[in-house]
Amino acid sequence: MEADPQGESLVNSVRPALNPSKVLSVEMRHIWKRFPGVLANQDIDLELYRGEVHALLGENGAGKSTLMHILSGSYQPDSGYVRIDGEKVHFRSPAQAIAKGIGIVHQHFRLVDVLSAAENIHLGWGDAPWRVTPQILAERTEKYCAEFGLHVDPKAEIWQLSTGEQQRVEILRVLARGAQVLILDEPTSVLTPGEAEELFRVARGLAAKGRSVVFITHKLEEVLAVSDRVTVLRNGRVVSSCMTSGCTKRSLAAMLIGQEFVSRLHREQRAPGKPVLEVSDLHALNNRGLPALKGIHLSIREGEILGIAGVAGNGQSELAEAINGLRPIQQGTIRVDGVDLTHKSPHQFVDSGVGHIPEDRHGMGLVTSLSVADNAILRQYKHAPIAKGMRLDGKESLKFAKKIVEQSAVKVSSLREPVRHLSGGNQQRLLTGRETEVASRLLVAVHPTQGLDIGATEEVRSHLMKHRNQGNALLLISEDLDEVLIMSDRIAVMYGGKIVGEFEAGDVNRTRIGLLMGGANELEEAG
Amino acid sequence: MTIAQERVHRTLRIRRRSDAPFWLNVLVRVFAIALALLLVGIVLNFSGMEPIALGRKAIVQTLGGAYGLQQAAILATPLIMTGLAVNVGMRMRLWNIGADGQLYLGAFAATGVALFVKGPPALMLVVMFFAGAIGGALWILVPAVLRAFWNVNEIITTLLLNFVAVLLINHFAIGAWRDTGAAILSATPKLPYLLPSIGKSYMTYGIFIPIIMAILIQMVLHNTQWGYEVRVIGGSRGVAEFAGIPVLRHILIVLLFSGALAGLAGMIEVSATALRLSGTLSNNYGYMGIIVAALANGSPLGVVLAGFLLAALLNAGIVLQTSGLSVSAMLAINGVILIFAAIGEVATQYKISLEKIQESADDAVQIDAHHEIENETEPAVEIETEVQSRPEELQP
Repeated sequence: MEADPQGESLVNSVRPALNPSKVLSVEMRHIWKRFPGVLANQDIDLELYRGEVHALLGENGAGKSTLMHILSGSYQPDSGYVRIDGEKVHFRSPAQAIAKGIGIVHQHFRLVDVLSAAENIHLGWGDAPWRVTPQILAERTEKYCAEFGLHVDPKAEIWQLSTGEQQRVEILRVLARGAQVLILDEPTSVLTPGEAEELFRVARGLAAKGRSVVFITHKLEEVLAVSDRVTVLRNGRVVSSCMTSGCTKRSLAAMLIGQEFVSRLHREQRAPGKPVLEVSDLHALNNRGLPALKGIHLSIREGEILGIAGVAGNGQSELAEAINGLRPIQQGTIRVDGVDLTHKSPHQFVDSGVGHIPEDRHGMGLVTSLSVADNAILRQYKHAPIAKGMRLDGKESLKFAKKIVEQSAVKVSSLREPVRHLSGGNQQRLLTGRETEVASRLLVAVHPTQGLDIGATEEVRSHLMKHRNQGNALLLISEDLDEVLIMSDRIAVMYGGKIVGEFEAGDVNRTRIGLLMGGANELEEAG
Repeated sequence: MTIAQERVHRTLRIRRRSDAPFWLNVLVRVFAIALALLLVGIVLNFSGMEPIALGRKAIVQTLGGAYGLQQAAILATPLIMTGLAVNVGMRMRLWNIGADGQLYLGAFAATGVALFVKGPPALMLVVMFFAGAIGGALWILVPAVLRAFWNVNEIITTLLLNFVAVLLINHFAIGAWRDTGAAILSATPKLPYLLPSIGKSYMTYGIFIPIIMAILIQMVLHNTQWGYEVRVIGGSRGVAEFAGIPVLRHILIVLLFSGALAGLAGMIEVSATALRLSGTLSNNYGYMGIIVAALANGSPLGVVLAGFLLAALLNAGIVLQTSGLSVSAMLAINGVILIFAAIGEVATQYKISLEKIQESADDAVQIDAHHEIENETEPAVEIETEVQSRPEELQP
């Protein structure tokens, strides 16, 4: 069995020799921060040394991001202080922090969509040259790319880039400004294993040159793979701070959630049913008008999960959109239960029993300013009993929302509460519940657990597995290879807009999948 | 490494709050307006006026009697209608700055019907009602189509059409439609069909139209599928497209409806208050509708209250003018009150507290009144606003 769901290969590949200097670069003492209803940081101490990669490990809501927002000047602590290179500092804004060499790459990107990568990197920067032709910016950007080993197309506009590429722009932007302390807020949540390893190398390289890198994560293997030291937070407090070399995955997990964690995914053995989704020779363009899907063939049967593995930007997002009627199709056919749905509207896909958990839960999945009930009925508001002629029955809406919330264990204080008040995990539970309710035949789930903590991830996964066990077809698109391996009955690898390999769950070859994700198959064919 | 001397001192802290209770919302607004009046009073006092006597006079004459209240209701009618027109657009994050022009065109259409068609008065008023709505809607048709299909900014197109509208009205009021029988140089004849008065009062039945419209809008938005779709689009266009809601069609319909509401304001104004169409029919009602909608902060019923408040304020200004205050002083007073009301509106979203802080001795008292950047996953409490771009986000 070559399957490696523990991610050991990842650990071994970039495990560094540990030799952090003992020069303190950042010292945070007795940090307290309270938000309405939440004590986010309680008496937190943190030291960062020059030349170390420091992992900050904790579940969602543990206070990692809040602490780093304090360090990077976005928040002010209620009490406590920060010293940088021995000097006490009080940042009133991120600009003051960056001036002191503290740079943060946010989990949710802060980029201007319509500007190019080069323009974003130079945005609001006093040191930018006075003459800023696209050519000059591009050249300077290329220089930074080479210096830090992060490649982006300087002239591409942000909206045209994949999330992985956008992240590289964010990191370059911070580094270009001379950050000595680089904070990465859950940087791998949008990356594939290959991209993540590359990021680890970049982080190690920066540390080797004397910078401090803070790596916020809730993934244990990443802590082991990249960090010299690790600080574990739970419920706003420091649980432990120690050398990574003395930690194991098991010991970290115990600190992280306070107990040993056992996965309770239950996969029912069942004979494959009849085909639900049949896609043949599918072609579609991406947002830049370039071919993104170049002849996709796939089929999924009842009670089967087909997992799509692949590096970001190889056509996965476009595939999901095409299968839900959201993206125009150039060529090819999409059939659900034998009915041709090519060129049909999103409504017709929904009416055929196709649900969709989209990649971007805030931009596409949920209206955060509207209530839980309003979000729950998004797929149902045109159907009885919620729809009564032109009217919308408020009582039926609440009844339906209550059902979704109970089925998916969404924690809400009221169904009329705006969705933005919910935590990320609860938002995803609500979205998952709503879409599985629609998906009486096929559910397309894109990065369904991205950014969620272990508990929420497990719940969403078991919800999806239950849906499969009930005889529905699932198309799971995820950049988390472990997730694809754990969940899928069959695995397809996507590269360059094509399916380049398919595996049964039983005979998975992790190395081979990794190679295919990197485009190795094409080289073999060419040679 | 030197360690600065530590001591405890107090810091004024301003923070975003997620929900403010209703009583606080009311209290903050009352307090804001009281502060504004105090400020105005001090300035008047130093200018040798008697602020308290003036204030009493203004309040008694505007809100203290039947006449004052009726005048406020009459003036509030067009303000609420244009306020609703702006409010409806805001639901989809569209800005109709052209309510003034649509008001003129609504009045123009209603006047045209009244002057050149004959029929039983009740029927004629109904026809004029719809003519007014259609006139307003047609005036926003081009900006609406440009916005829906080519994404042309509606703020600019609707605004520019205001100037065209006034010129068009003047062209007819001074030209072909001018009342040649009277010594009036720039208005049409008195309309032969007018909205009937309520009993012996100064008010006509026109004052009920804004209230009915506000209730109607509230119900449509919250109790129909169409209203639901509009709210989804207003919340997130991406989600609306995801759900297959026809966004372009809704932009078109909502803008046309917005124009129709402003057009109705014109129809009521010309057939109940001004009685003749002229190029001075609108006293900037369209622009004041923007203020009304902004003060109301989203709810149609709030628009009714804000419209009435503004009307009372404007009438108080007229009273003060008769007491020797200059027009500019009166406008300045109105402005101060409105600014304080707007500040009060924002202030309800923040919590101010005095806290003990342990910091080094050299630190002065600090006020950090910044918008805290929202982190989507932690903490679980909301500190995000509807405002989409915040300066900090562009400055890493």
